[in-house]
Amino acid sequence: MAASIFSRYGTRRALLVGCLLVLALSVAGCSSNYPIQPEYFWDSLFKPSPAIINGLGLTLGISVLAQAIGVILGVFAAMGKMAKFRPFRFVANLYIWIFRGTPLLVQLAFFRFGLGAAGIFQWPEVVTGPLDILPEILAGIVILGVNEGAYMAEIVRAGIMAVDPGQTEAAKSLGMTYGKTMSRIVLPQAARVIIPPLGNEFNNMLKTTSLLSFIGVYELYNTFSVAAGHSYASFELFGACAVWYLLMTTIWGLVQSRIERRFSRGTEQSSSGGAGPRNKGFAERFMALRSPIEQ
Amino acid sequence: MTTISRDLLGAIGGVPRPETDVVVDARDVNKWFGRLHVLKDVCIQVKRQETVVVIGPSGSGKTTFIRCVNHLEKIQSGRIFVNGHLIGYRETDGGKKLAEDKEKNIAAQRQEIGMVFQRFNLFPHMTAIENIIEAPIHVRGMAHEEAMVMGRALLERVGLAAKENVYPNQLSGGQQQRIAIARALAMKPALMLFDEPTSALDPEMIGEVLEVMKELAREGMTMIVVSHEMGFAREVANRVVMMDEGVVVEEGTPDQVFSVPSQERTKTFLSKIL
Repeated sequence: MAASIFSRYGTRRALLVGCLLVLALSVAGCSSNYPIQPEYFWDSLFKPSPAIINGLGLTLGISVLAQAIGVILGVFAAMGKMAKFRPFRFVANLYIWIFRGTPLLVQLAFFRFGLGAAGIFQWPEVVTGPLDILPEILAGIVILGVNEGAYMAEIVRAGIMAVDPGQTEAAKSLGMTYGKTMSRIVLPQAARVIIPPLGNEFNNMLKTTSLLSFIGVYELYNTFSVAAGHSYASFELFGACAVWYLLMTTIWGLVQSRIERRFSRGTEQSSSGGAGPRNKGFAERFMALRSPIEQ
Repeated sequence: MTTISRDLLGAIGGVPRPETDVVVDARDVNKWFGRLHVLKDVCIQVKRQETVVVIGPSGSGKTTFIRCVNHLEKIQSGRIFVNGHLIGYRETDGGKKLAEDKEKNIAAQRQEIGMVFQRFNLFPHMTAIENIIEAPIHVRGMAHEEAMVMGRALLERVGLAAKENVYPNQLSGGQQQRIAIARALAMKPALMLFDEPTSALDPEMIGEVLEVMKELAREGMTMIVVSHEMGFAREVANRVVMMDEGVVVEEGTPDQVFSVPSQERTKTFLSKIL
């Protein structure tokens, strides 16, 4: 199964090109005066230190939590934007305007350092059971999440608008309230439209967490950055750091295509589980999306 | 050939009994879309167990009217009572003005009114049986097992027992519409509204949907049907209402309206479609 996904997206070829590129870079590195130390590269990949493992865990954990906050805020902001009640629309638009209109780095600085300096708000350290969330990590998760919510709002709104208004009418005429109509009928169908861009957003999120190094979070990039400063092996270490990110985003890509298939339930004509070695042609897939009556 | 069982309403525990003799009482209903006056002082009454077929050219306001009956459309003046309850509004200022009711109350009122749409509007992410049991479980609070028993009985009686776990896009239009009718019936409504239920169907599928509707009418369901199916109207309607340009032009038994229409507009309309 994995092999078929690889070949479908030409990932095998990309992998080959990538390896050649690394080889070329190594050759270039060797031919210069830079004393290349390959063990830094290989060790941080195959014998990662506890610091690297910790950094990986932080990057993953922060990404998941921030994305979750982003999705929830995005749903509310999207519904706010589409609300009949004007103040809701105003608040939603203001939120989106501010967080899409300013750089994430400035938001991090303002909410992490600015608020504290002015004595308005200090980020607390949260201790729950074995978990000890440092103030900068908490701040990082929340700010990334709030920033993400502003981008998710448009994605969620597009998803909701893509659902046939007849669906809302059918749900209403069965006696469903607005909340039930949304949660049971509209959002599950909007999900089909939302999931692909949401996957891309999470891919972005995995990489964007590296900006948290700026507020002192020892996530993956910061861990490597510190190690590079100590070792004079920045070529090897940042190279290895990039490979770690590539590994995470690649695995996510595989997960994403699974999720997308799961959510396309009810849009394909045939219910056969495995499509077999041959993929459906474009025309076939296009026709399957249309209801029988239109054919 | 599809077989529609007798005792369709047996699947939901018998004929739902409306609380009042006059199930629908629409009085002087006016509606505008912007500056377009689409319903002009419309008065229509539907008595218990009656089937009323509304006919008229497109743009006559017949679809708008039945959409007002379950408040999918707002009205600007007049009153619509279903089962004795004022639909969609509260009277304020000593009964002089209308204020839109709370969303929750409107939702509760709609539970008593089943609606079948021209384009079926089945939920595409749910199987046939899931479509039927969705509202009984999540709106009425019915237990899952109980809802399944009722849902299966309904599917069987509309001739689709074999399609229980099939998604709507794998069904023909006629099959989808029969499931849509079953879905509406599952809420045990006091009134059923049909908005051109066969207009989007291929000709060979119209019969199977009309069979279900005829059976419902025979069993005593109270229904308003907007339709161009004159054969259906003749066979099962207690009354036919002719609308044109937002006005009820005439109404009477099918024989009166079809054979000896009193109004010129009715004659013109009938001559075009018969």
